[in-house]
Amino acid sequence: MSLFLAKLSCKRDIDEVIKTVAEKVLVLRFGRDEDSVCLQLDEILSKTSHDLSNMASIYIVDVDSAPVYTRYFDISYIPSTVFFFNGQHMKVDYGSPDHTKFVGSFKTKQDFLDLIEVIYRGAMRGKMIVKSPIDPQNIPKYDLLYHGI
Amino acid sequence: MGAFYCAICRQTSFSGKAHIFGKSHQSKLKVVLVKFLEKVKEARRTIKNPQVERFDCTQHKRKCWCYCCGLEVERDVTDGDITVLFGGLLEHMARPDHRKCTHTFWWENKADPKLRDKFIITENEMERFKTEVAKALGSFEDKEDGLIKQQATHIRAQEQHRQEVLQSLIEPKAELELSNTEGPCNSVDEASSSSHFRAPGSDEQARSGRVDQMVARQWAGPGQGLTFIGYQDSSNSGNVHTGAIPPWLQEDPNEGRSGTMEQAIGPSLQDFLKQKEQEKLKKLPPNRVGANFDHSSQTDANWLPSFGRVWNSGRRWQSRHQFREEEGQTNRQKRKRDQGAEGTKKPNRLNSDYSMHCT
Repeated sequence: MSLFLAKLSCKRDIDEVIKTVAEKVLVLRFGRDEDSVCLQLDEILSKTSHDLSNMASIYIVDVDSAPVYTRYFDISYIPSTVFFFNGQHMKVDYGSPDHTKFVGSFKTKQDFLDLIEVIYRGAMRGKMIVKSPIDPQNIPKYDLLYHGI
Repeated sequence: MGAFYCAICRQTSFSGKAHIFGKSHQSKLKVVLVKFLEKVKEARRTIKNPQVERFDCTQHKRKCWCYCCGLEVERDVTDGDITVLFGGLLEHMARPDHRKCTHTFWWENKADPKLRDKFIITENEMERFKTEVAKALGSFEDKEDGLIKQQATHIRAQEQHRQEVLQSLIEPKAELELSNTEGPCNSVDEASSSSHFRAPGSDEQARSGRVDQMVARQWAGPGQGLTFIGYQDSSNSGNVHTGAIPPWLQEDPNEGRSGTMEQAIGPSLQDFLKQKEQEKLKKLPPNRVGANFDHSSQTDANWLPSFGRVWNSGRRWQSRHQFREEEGQTNRQKRKRDQGAEGTKKPNRLNSDYSMHCT
């Protein structure tokens, strides 16, 4: 599954990808290749990557290889998927507490396709935060840990 | 005499009212009265025993034609929920103007006077009918209440059964889950699964709901069982929620070492300005003058034929010759020799002509 998706292994590669992917949604999956939920998500990503090739570029990142990014995005649960457009981090309201990333896997391929389309259209219209079209029942639930509050 | 339309025979007769005594009219009259009498008899039966039923819009709005008054009358009386059968007909026949019409009808058509009274309902009968109706309404409502209570107990029993099934499922599952993942997720799950249950109707659907719940749990498994990779301490550097500088905009200490990558991305300023000019040129009409002007061709200094000597009189070539002399190049000197030879052959003759043109 993750064999067919491009992998980024260091911080510099990630920087370069963020700065150079233009006019397309950039999808970065942070996780580990062996994890079961990551495998599910990777399968959805690889199967849809061809259909979305004009709208999105999809990359896999191992959380252990770029700790700067793991700390910056506060990735506590894997897999976490972060979306960019033209170097700008896109936020999406899924109905979950964290809008900066999508935690967990998608239930169906169609959910992911719809989400990418909504992000792309929102970004083309100049919106930096969009509302997710996925049914809130299909969004994985997790607890957001607040430290020090 | 004039034309007279008889409603019973449905014919116009010109011989006045004599036809009434004829056979055809009387036979038709009998038929009509028999039909009407049937309805009236049924109505009379309900005086002693009124029939009260729940309102049924297909059957209870029937109308009846009263031959005496020549009017259509509603057979039943209803208030939307409950109907009294034949109530309308009885009420109509109790009215005084119906009585008058009946008498007129009998006189006009010469019907059998014995039958006449059957078509009128007296006030006593009406009173009796009303009391009977009140009683019937009470008993009807009691019956309805009984039915509703039965249905309520049935529904309650079903709900109870469903809850028991739910409890029996949750107890073993809850034990398993507490050992696997964190606690708070369970309450969310229970709330969602109980709302899942409330929709369907019977036992079979409760069973299928259980199956759905299990399927949902299998997918929701990742939602509860996401791998936790540890609390990310970003108190030094700040994270996306606190609004720190993103890593891709931070300067990388490693970048100096690998210097092959260009620092600047994108075209240079000059290239960019040139690109802008070209965009503008594309918008101009393509068949304008000088559109195919070749800007990259090289030109030397003498492409313009400017060798001055405005105030000179004499041939053009003479001034050119002098200009070139002054320029003093070796090629021009050669040309000068050739042209000088040409030019000096006919100086005098042309001079005079030239001066005339000039002034």
